[in-house]
Amino acid sequence: MTGTVFNIQPYSLHDGPGIRTIVFLKGCPLRCKWCSNPESQSPYPEVAFDREKCIADKGCRFCEGVCQIEGFSPSETNARLKGRCQQFCEVCPSGALTVYGKEMSPEQILDRVEADSAFYSHGKGGLTLSGGEPFMQGQFALEILREAKRRRISTAAETCGFCDTEVLRQAAGLLDYVLFDIKLLDSERHRLHTGVPNELILSNLEMLFSEFPELHKHIRTPVIPTVNDSLEDIGAISRFLSGRENYSYELLPYHRFGTGKYALLGRGYADIPEKVDDELMAELKKLQV
Amino acid sequence: MSQIKELSPQELRIQHNIGYGQKRAGRILEGFQGSRPVIDIERGKYFTESFKQTEGQPLVLRWAKALYSYAQNATVYVDDDQLIAGRAGREGRYGILYPELDGDFLDEAIKSLPERESSPFDITPEDADYIINEISPYWKGKTFHEALAAAIPEDTRKYTYNNDSELSSRFIVNETASFRSSIQWVHDYEKPLHIGFNGIKREAQEKLAELDEFSPVDNTEKRPFLEAVIITADAIILWAQRHAELAEKKAEAETDEKRKAELLEIARICRKVPAEPAGSFYEAVQSQWFIQLFSRVEQKTGTIISNGRMDQYLYPYYKADKEKGLINEDRAEELLECVWVAMAQYIDLYLSKAGGAFNEGYAHWEAVTIGGQTPDGRDAVNELTYIFLRSKREFPLNYPDLAARIHTRSPEKYLYEVAETIKDGSGFPKLINDDEVVPLLLAKGAQFEEAYDYSVSGCAECRMPNRDTYTSPCAYINFAAALEMTVYNGKMLKYGDEVIGLQTGEAEDFESFDEFLEAYLRQQKNFMKHAFIQQHEIIRLRAEHFASPLGSSLHKLCMEQQKDIHSPKIEGGIDLGYFEFIGYGTVIDSLAAIKKVVFEDKRITLPQLREAMEHDFEGYEPIRALVTSAPAYGNNDSYADQIGKRLDRELLEFTKKYSKELGVHLDLRYVPFTSNVPFGKVVSATPNGRRAYVPLSDGSSASQGADRNGPTAILLSNYATKNYDYRNRAARLLNIKLSPQCVKGEEGTAKLVDFIKAWRDLKLWHLQFNIINRETLIKAQQDPDAYRSLLVRVAGYSAYFCELSKDLQDDIISRTEHGAV
Repeated sequence: MTGTVFNIQPYSLHDGPGIRTIVFLKGCPLRCKWCSNPESQSPYPEVAFDREKCIADKGCRFCEGVCQIEGFSPSETNARLKGRCQQFCEVCPSGALTVYGKEMSPEQILDRVEADSAFYSHGKGGLTLSGGEPFMQGQFALEILREAKRRRISTAAETCGFCDTEVLRQAAGLLDYVLFDIKLLDSERHRLHTGVPNELILSNLEMLFSEFPELHKHIRTPVIPTVNDSLEDIGAISRFLSGRENYSYELLPYHRFGTGKYALLGRGYADIPEKVDDELMAELKKLQV
Repeated sequence: MSQIKELSPQELRIQHNIGYGQKRAGRILEGFQGSRPVIDIERGKYFTESFKQTEGQPLVLRWAKALYSYAQNATVYVDDDQLIAGRAGREGRYGILYPELDGDFLDEAIKSLPERESSPFDITPEDADYIINEISPYWKGKTFHEALAAAIPEDTRKYTYNNDSELSSRFIVNETASFRSSIQWVHDYEKPLHIGFNGIKREAQEKLAELDEFSPVDNTEKRPFLEAVIITADAIILWAQRHAELAEKKAEAETDEKRKAELLEIARICRKVPAEPAGSFYEAVQSQWFIQLFSRVEQKTGTIISNGRMDQYLYPYYKADKEKGLINEDRAEELLECVWVAMAQYIDLYLSKAGGAFNEGYAHWEAVTIGGQTPDGRDAVNELTYIFLRSKREFPLNYPDLAARIHTRSPEKYLYEVAETIKDGSGFPKLINDDEVVPLLLAKGAQFEEAYDYSVSGCAECRMPNRDTYTSPCAYINFAAALEMTVYNGKMLKYGDEVIGLQTGEAEDFESFDEFLEAYLRQQKNFMKHAFIQQHEIIRLRAEHFASPLGSSLHKLCMEQQKDIHSPKIEGGIDLGYFEFIGYGTVIDSLAAIKKVVFEDKRITLPQLREAMEHDFEGYEPIRALVTSAPAYGNNDSYADQIGKRLDRELLEFTKKYSKELGVHLDLRYVPFTSNVPFGKVVSATPNGRRAYVPLSDGSSASQGADRNGPTAILLSNYATKNYDYRNRAARLLNIKLSPQCVKGEEGTAKLVDFIKAWRDLKLWHLQFNIINRETLIKAQQDPDAYRSLLVRVAGYSAYFCELSKDLQDDIISRTEHGAV
């Protein structure tokens, strides 16, 4: 079995306990406008082109014959290059052409994860599955978690919650820690900003709370200007959670680290104000648990 | 896009301009911080005068007499506000002269010192005249430096020196024996604290009485040695008494009652120690400082005699005083910090350009060792250990360096406090791993109790004070130059048409990577040959040029055998030396690039790559991009790491075979100080895309910017490239730069501790951190006045960033900063 991975990132400190390695699986059912990993959304490998890095003007011709740099449009090329992606980026020495997405088996992934095992053992570090939405490649994600368990590596996953309930149920049985995002409680506005309604997300979370009381749930909300940066929205989520057992709640400040990647993929970035008002953010943070 | 950066405590202090004026040591520091060091000629003067009068006598005796002359005549100092007496030179920051080492070019060097870029010094015109007319002429023709240069065979010489009058370094196979009298060293301080120098004197007198009056060896070797020990003991006692007299005189004139009492107490202590055993913590600290300072006068030990395990040998005094209610933590910290500021005013003066450039930012390493294990293998952390850590957080001066020993059972509290201290951002402490060091010391012949009781000395060396007997500094070898010679068939662009190395073939002739690698390995082995030839001569000649009656009197084996520590062979001693791999990452990455790009993928030919290198990649950007994208060391990528392991193994194999002939352990070490900068200045563009004459990779760290997989990968690459089946390993120095964001808060501390434990489990030797934002370094470069107090970790030490050369500053900036996802 193989699946599509777009990054493996060791020494991750902010996504679960201890020092962790994050495995990013490609593909997401949501289309959040603020998404900082736009390359994670499509389930297929994608070619990205960074004009800044390209050294064609300095006489580089290594990609000639594979593609025409003149008039290159990443999205068009994506369409033409399906299946040849890897070859395409392998010729490029400058990193201007890269491919997001690589086929890997669970064993290959765990070999990479296990390489850092010395760093997990003293804390509660280990593997964090992320995406995209990791459970979109459901069976593949489950097999990665099973392989991790076989190797006695601690497991965590970051999910948007919009996934097959049965997959999530099986995954929860293999997880030591889960990071679960809630963006908005209002389903209609959720659909407007992310492309999907939130009923499935909330029922999945209810399932985790009722069926997996031992599993720690770390709930997170990215606070996005004009989307949910209000006391009403964050307060509603906070009230929704309050009284439950074995969870923590964290607000993630909005950042725009991903904007550059939209351009590389030939896409535009949504019109979102630069930041949440500092005072408001401070006020909201009081709702963290 | 603006991003709010997390700042380290050090960065915050600088931003808010917070000083240390509230502390006694802080006030003393303000008096000299940032001032240009000045040369004090007294040591050079009295040694020269004395040596003129003792010609023909045994060397150890001459040394003792010179020390006595110094003790009798040199100016003594008790500084205002200080609680600890003694300095070895004039007020402010000072350096002293060792003409026996470099007197032959002292006159020339003196003229260029104020202007030189790395580690400049000032000197008064009168002193300069004295050096030129009185000191330097006496030493011409007598120095170790000249004797060594004359002894090195012609074929080895071309790797060693340029063909100029001062025999400047060629930075290829670089001897380091002639800019210091010995490698870094540490004394057994317990002995003089316990029995005093009167006790040592008695010991020598007893041994004198036992000598066989008919024995030629006893008469010509042992007797002068013992007499030298007695004279030296008298010298240090006299010197301390003169401090007492001065303190008494100052007390008499003092109108402030509090200060008067302090001065009288200083006088009382200087009357007592180091002559007699120390009876309190204060006395022990003063005694240790006198001994350490007098050691500096005795000899220019490379990077200074280290302080040893201060938290161990001072603890009994601290504990006893505390039980009697005579001392508390604050007072202990104040006394130690008074020593730190005294230390910080002494500057290790390197006259040769190479010495200055190897130890930039006025580096010296009188490292204090804390933590670790007791001689019987228990954890050694005690209350005093935490006071040393606290002092580094509250008063992070560049001196002394602080080395924290870590082992499997180091308590959590200790590890957390170590991590908290690292988080401050000024580079302290460095970590040394008992789990790697102790077994290696055992494998080299130590007993358990000696191995557990090692002290960190210098950058990353580990010494057993009564067992180590090797003092000869060894070669730093520029293996990036060997690589260049492989590409250019024995030549280097810097040195034109001169064939220096082996002619292993033109770039056109190599048909496979294996052929190229074999050619490189031949060059590498050839460098080793010349390094060991140098070393053979160094060992042979040193005893004729250096003696150390003070250091020898503190060494069990030397006293038993009545031999100076510089003797070529001391029975029962373990001779731990090393040779240095300069440019490890550079060489690995270059070989990996050639393997991948030229021979495997066949993207370009080796002559094409050579052509690009000849042009420093100007106009060859696509080729540079290609080689830069090849696998590199520091990413836990076995493609590159296997090459690194092979290079390491070949060197270990060489030394395993030939160091026996030298009679010492000459182990492979990766600790460059700052020498990766000057060594880089002779190496043109390398096949990994490194530009011509910029710094080589440092220590066992990755090439600058080549580590793209985070800090865990650097540790793992280090692990992967080590040959654990050989005992011929010495230290590997490892720099990690983290952004303050990575270690934020209590959780950040916990994760830093996890990281340290993983390092320990991997049995890596050394680890140190810079916790700093890249922006801070760039701002400091642009506005040095605002950042005078910014400390950064350089090699095995921390230095003021603004006192480093532009090249080294750039090198530190270019070390990859690791953030976290």
